[in-house]
Order: sequence, then C-alpha cells, then structure tokens
Amino acid sequence: MVDFLQNWVYLTGAMALVGIGLYIVLTNTNIFRIIVGLNIIDSGTNLFIVTIAWHPKSVMPIYTATNNLVVNGHVISADPLPQSLVLTAIVIGLGTTALALAIAVKIYQKYGTLDVRKIKEGDR
Amino acid sequence: MMSDTPEMVKKVFAIFVVGILIIGFFMVFTQMPKGNEVNVNNTVSRFYVMKDVDHATQMLDKGTYFNKDMVPLRNDVPYTPITFGKSSNLEDGAANVVTSIVVDYRGFDTLGEVTVLFLAASGVMLVLHGEKRKIPKKKIAPSEIMYVGTRIAFAVIFLFGIYVFIHGHLTPGGGFPGGAIIASGILGLFLGRQGYSPNKAGLTVFESLSGMAYVIIGIIGLVGEKSFLANFLPTGTIGDLFSAGFIALIYIAIGMKVGSELSAVTNAMIVDTEED
Repeated sequence: MVDFLQNWVYLTGAMALVGIGLYIVLTNTNIFRIIVGLNIIDSGTNLFIVTIAWHPKSVMPIYTATNNLVVNGHVISADPLPQSLVLTAIVIGLGTTALALAIAVKIYQKYGTLDVRKIKEGDR
Repeated sequence: MMSDTPEMVKKVFAIFVVGILIIGFFMVFTQMPKGNEVNVNNTVSRFYVMKDVDHATQMLDKGTYFNKDMVPLRNDVPYTPITFGKSSNLEDGAANVVTSIVVDYRGFDTLGEVTVLFLAASGVMLVLHGEKRKIPKKKIAPSEIMYVGTRIAFAVIFLFGIYVFIHGHLTPGGGFPGGAIIASGILGLFLGRQGYSPNKAGLTVFESLSGMAYVIIGIIGLVGEKSFLANFLPTGTIGDLFSAGFIALIYIAIGMKVGSELSAVTNAMIVDTEED
C-alpha cells in the first residue's frame, strides 16, 4: 500500500485535477468559472510533468553542504529539466489567466452578464 | 437545440468525456516506468546535474555518443566529483541545478518566457485601459492599523523578494517568484490605503530598463563569448553568493521586470465596480 502511494499518488492526483478541471469547463456557463477550470487543468498538467521526473528516493536537485546529487558516479536527484520547464509553464499560465480575466471584465461591461448563453442571446 | 437538452444529460455527457480522458491517462500509465524506476542516469539531465554538458556535446560531435540501436546515452563519460563550497571554475557555477538550466543552458527559452509575460501584461493594460478610471471607494475605510501595518509589511516583503531573486542560484526561488513576492507587497498597499495608485511612469521605466538589461547581457555574451546569452563572467566557487557568473545579474533583471509588470497588472485589474 505504501509502495502504491509512493508510486502513484501524485500521478493519480494530477489526473484527477485534469479531470475535475475539464468537467468544470464542460458543465459551467459562467466565463469566470471556465477560467478557473482552465487554471485547474493547468495545475494538473504541471503536477504531471513534475511527477514523471520524480521517484521516491530522489533528492532535490540543489547542491548544498549536506545534499550530494551524485553518489558513486550515479545521479540520485530528481530530474531538473522538467522542473525548469514547469517553471516556464507556471509563468505563462499566470499571464494567460490575467489576460483572460481582463477580457472577462470587458465582456461583463459590454453585456452585463458573464453567462455564455445569455451573451449569445444578447448578440442576436 | 443545445438549450433544450436537460441539464442531467449534459452532465452525464461531460462525465463521459472526462472518463475517456482518464482512460487515456491510464493507457499512458501502463507504458510508464514506475516511480522508483525513473532513472536520471539515462537522460540528458544527467549532464546538467554533473555540469558537464560541453564535454557531452563534444562526444556527440565525434559521433561516438549515440549509436544506431538508439541506446540513449553513454554512462562512461568521465566525471569529476563536485563538492559544495570547494569545486570552482565549473561549467556552470549555480548550486541550484534548475536555475542553471533555466537561466544558463536554456536562457533563450527564458527570454521568450519573459516576452510572453510582457505581452500578457501589455494585453491586460490595453484591454482595461482607456475608460475613465475612478479609484474604487471602499465601503469601510481601512483603519489606522491597516494603513501602518501594510506599509511596514511592504518593506519586509520587498526585502524578502529581493533576497529571493538575488539568491536564485543558491536556493529555491529566483526571479519569477521574487517578482511575484514584490507585487504581492504592492497589493498590500492597495488594500491598506484609500485611493492608492503606484507611480505608473516609474513602473514603465523599471520594466523597460530591466527588459533591456536582459537583452544587453545576452548581446555582451554574443560579442565577448561564442553565443547569445553565453556566460561571460567567472563562475567562481559553487555555493558562494558571488558565483555562477551572470545568473545573478539576469535574475535581478527578471525579478525587477516581473515585479513591476505584475504590479502594473494589479493596478489595471482594480476597476471601479460602480457600487454605491
């Protein structure tokens, strides 16, 4: 059981986050909630990418006085490359969220509602 | 059409779509190594950790690195051990390997990332700018404690943000989290004062200067060294504050840029809701 948790809990969590986010995006009509759902999908993807580079016995990829990353010529740290890619992805997710929220503010000012269907009806 | 469909059917359909996605995920899981089998020694990241990318690239050039059977990487690359606080003049002097990838080995990526953040911030300001902005009146004016407290907290938060991005090559953190911390301090000022507005011209100047500083550092690398964004400073001893060459300089530029950009976004986001 502990083995199962160590190996799969983060992957299952990442998958659950993506599923929850997709469900929110599909079932809600409020634009703000759709943006929140997209954010949850974003978090799930980031968690997935970090998790596949991790194993339970790995150490953090930072050299400190007590933290040796290489033992007997073998690297024992977690994979730093996906972590750096996720660092990029987080910042870009922040930027896109800010832009989406700004556009949502504009939509509310024009239509007086954030409901996608009411916006569609008001358009006709 | 769609609006006639009962709510229940839609939710079931959504669960169905999500279920298909989850099944797809599980199919990936069957192909993946288990967590305790992930081995960094078989991936490119090994050379980032060992700070030996240049040597590996030379082996690649000689054609001895990959073979036709797609055995991914050789494990017999000679390795010089790295000791914290002693090893000096490494290929990349950052103790934080993630930072060394983000800023040094893949610095061009990070320049693109900063550009994306800049575009998003200018998009927000383009969309939300133009209408006559009334500073929103708070229903309950912030008290004296709030006013003084946020200003004291701002000083501490500002210092901590600067600490985080100056030590980006030694500890977790770096320019992006440091900038976000500074912007959160500015958000505190918004909460604590009636009608607060930061100096917009100052934010713009900071943002432009730090963005230019990043590109100028890259061009110095192009002129003085072999490539754009190449490290032109000595790397020093691993673990020292003054080590890792230009990484600290770039992270200072990124921290100032992200801090001023997010502050400007926060400023633009505070829109009058027209409530009495």
